[in-house]
Amino acid sequence: MIGFVAFSIRRAWQGFWRNALMSLAATATMVLMLVLLAGFWIIQTGLLSALDFTEQKVEVVANIDLDATPADIAGLEARIRAMPEVTGVTFVSKDEALARFQASMKAQGREDLTKYLDTNPLTASEEVKLKDPGFSKTVADALRKEPAVRNVLDTKDTAQNVKTVTDILRTAGTVILVVIGVIVLFIIVNTIRLAVFARSEEIEIMRLVGASDAFIRWPFVFEGAMVGLFGAAITLTGLYLLSEPIASFMVDFFRVLPLSFGSLANQLILIVTAAGLGLGILGSWVSVRTYLIR
Amino acid sequence: MTITSTPTAASPRSVRERLLRRGREQAQADRAVLVLHDVTKTYPNGKTALQDVDLVIPEGDFVFLVGPSGAGKSTLIKLLIRDELASHGQVVLDGQDLARLPRRAVPKVRRKIGIVFQDFKLLPTKSVWENVAFALEVTGTPRRKIRPAVDRVLALVGLTAQREQVPSQLSGGEQQRTAIARALVHDPRLIIADEPTGNLDPLISWEIIQLLLRINELGVTVMMATHDADVVTALRKRVVALEEGRVIRDEVGGAYHRVD
Repeated sequence: MIGFVAFSIRRAWQGFWRNALMSLAATATMVLMLVLLAGFWIIQTGLLSALDFTEQKVEVVANIDLDATPADIAGLEARIRAMPEVTGVTFVSKDEALARFQASMKAQGREDLTKYLDTNPLTASEEVKLKDPGFSKTVADALRKEPAVRNVLDTKDTAQNVKTVTDILRTAGTVILVVIGVIVLFIIVNTIRLAVFARSEEIEIMRLVGASDAFIRWPFVFEGAMVGLFGAAITLTGLYLLSEPIASFMVDFFRVLPLSFGSLANQLILIVTAAGLGLGILGSWVSVRTYLIR
Repeated sequence: MTITSTPTAASPRSVRERLLRRGREQAQADRAVLVLHDVTKTYPNGKTALQDVDLVIPEGDFVFLVGPSGAGKSTLIKLLIRDELASHGQVVLDGQDLARLPRRAVPKVRRKIGIVFQDFKLLPTKSVWENVAFALEVTGTPRRKIRPAVDRVLALVGLTAQREQVPSQLSGGEQQRTAIARALVHDPRLIIADEPTGNLDPLISWEIIQLLLRINELGVTVMMATHDADVVTALRKRVVALEEGRVIRDEVGGAYHRVD
């Protein structure tokens, strides 16, 4: 058994280098495919994080009556917190609202008109974060019935639009990823098939002298695994070298936090290695089957 | 030693005679390396390559298989190594019915047959020694047994001096002797040579034939498919002639062509 494994690995190694051009072609194809796969995975992850971020932005804002007492406000806040659709609620006082307004005016480079006012015209408000943008209507309706609430900024339409778009993008992203996976599989299987075909004479001789299927198959399976591992290593090295620009691209484009980039790197290592190894093994397993005993 | 090949056409023989004949065939079959009984091979495309072939090859025999291209020689060889299965009838190699053989046992049966081809089928990047050792390596032979076995067969075919050369450095005759050494290294019961001299000039051809005869004298059964009429006629060995998938002649001491 040890002899057999040693034989298979030795033959796989010899086979890889003896037919170096073919092996390099297979490895190059593997790298291209893995880069494609990794690229789409990165975009998909970025897209999903961006969607999560956008969804978090959907909230219901309840402006509070000017004559509401602190006790009224505390009671209202407790009731909002108790709602099952709500993840969090933030109280924004009149002063905070004014400060925010002034800051946003300044950020946009506009003149701060509030300095001409004697009093603060803004109302205090409760900003309600939702578990899902779909809940905005329910929560807004409940808030409207509250006596301390003056009016509700209903972002219902925005929320619905965001939800529709994110659902479409999620589905499309998954479909594209699956389609790419299938295409990658076909291309890799075909490339390895060519590499196996280039050695059909050798396989023919092995069959004629009475080699068992295992002796014919496993060297090729190991060789396929080698192609997969080399491909994965090259791809990951490339991604590592490019990790700086990728990270800044993701932060700029999708506004993903560096935190999720760390877990993305782990995911990529796992996915690229597993895909390379899996595709290499599957490809050679399928390709060599034609030559085995019927 | 004469073996009959009987087309299935009904012959007006008594039952007793037929039973006697079957008994005789059975006795021969018991010590035969190869028995084909009533074998027909029809390919999926409907082409019938062999029809009602009966053939018994006893241990130690030397048989020429002759016939025009497309007569069924290649199909016959494919049946023997169980690359194809007979559509009908039995192929029994060394007492084993190939149709009843489980897939796993096929490689072991193939090791009982050594095959030599017209185009040698040597691996161009391996030396003579490696080419022969390859047959043992890929069948899981321990390395310590490979060396003496390869050295022995290389000595037998007279290639000890060329052991380190690769096929492109060898003459055609030397390449064919390498192939014969490879076929012999498993100690096969039967050597099948498929037009072994087809690519060689007459002088070298004779050298190869001499080698096959010597191997036969050592006790290995040899079946040689050939178009070389001179060789067949000169040697007066057993000749089995195939035509359109049928055995049309099977005689000991025969010539290449039927002598009417």
